[in-house]
Amino acid sequence: MGHPHIEKLDPKTHTMTLSLDIGLYPADVLYAAAYVFLDRAYVLLDRAGPRFEVHLRGKGELTEAQLTAMSGEFENELLAQALRRKVIKANQKIIEDITSQAIAGAAGGTLPTDFLAAGDDGMDFLDDPLGIAVPWEDKFKKKKDA
Amino acid sequence: MSHATHQTVKLHRTLYMQQAVKDAATTFADFAAFTIKRDGDYYAVDIKDIDPDVDGDVVAEFCNFALANTAGRKKSKKA
Repeated sequence: MGHPHIEKLDPKTHTMTLSLDIGLYPADVLYAAAYVFLDRAYVLLDRAGPRFEVHLRGKGELTEAQLTAMSGEFENELLAQALRRKVIKANQKIIEDITSQAIAGAAGGTLPTDFLAAGDDGMDFLDDPLGIAVPWEDKFKKKKDA
Repeated sequence: MSHATHQTVKLHRTLYMQQAVKDAATTFADFAAFTIKRDGDYYAVDIKDIDPDVDGDVVAEFCNFALANTAGRKKSKKA
C-alpha cells in the first residue's frame, strides 16, 4: 500500500501505529511531521523493511475516534511538510538572495554596486579642501597673526 | 503511565542519532540511569532506577527528547 495506513489502534492504551512507505516519505518529512506532534503525543519511530513505523501514544486519554483523527492529522502533516520541502527546494536560490540582501541592508553594509554608482570627483587622495590635515598650531598661528 | 523502574527502549539507528540519544539521556539523568548499547540495527537503551516520584512517563519523554534532538541535529547539519 502506498499511502500511510493504521497498523494498530488501541483506545485502551491510547496508542496507534502508522505505517508509511519509505519511498514516498523521506526521513526529513517524517521528522518534521513527528516533531509537530511531540507536544501532544509520545512518538517513537521505527523501521520495518521498506516502511517506517510511527508509534503514537496520546499524552492524555483518547477515544478511538480521536486516535483515528490524530492519524489523519499526522498524514496531513506529512503532506504539508513534503510540500514545504518541495517549495523550499524549488526556491532555494531566491530565498538565499533575499536573505543576503536583507542582512546586508540591516547591517548598513556597503554593497559593491555602491562604488559603481559614485562618480569620479577628480580629486587626489592628498587634496584637503576642508583643511582637515592642517595642524591646529598653524591655524592658531594664522588667527594670532591676523 | 508506566510505573516500572526498569525498561529497555530500542531506537532504530537509521532514525535516531547516537549523540541525540546521549543528549536526551543527559537531560533525564536526574530521574533515571541510562545505558546505551548497540544492538544490531538498534540502540538499546537500558533505563534503570526510574524515580517513582516523577509525575510523568520518563521513558516516553526520553524517547520524545531523543527524537526532537535527532530532528534538530539533522536540520542544523543540512543548513
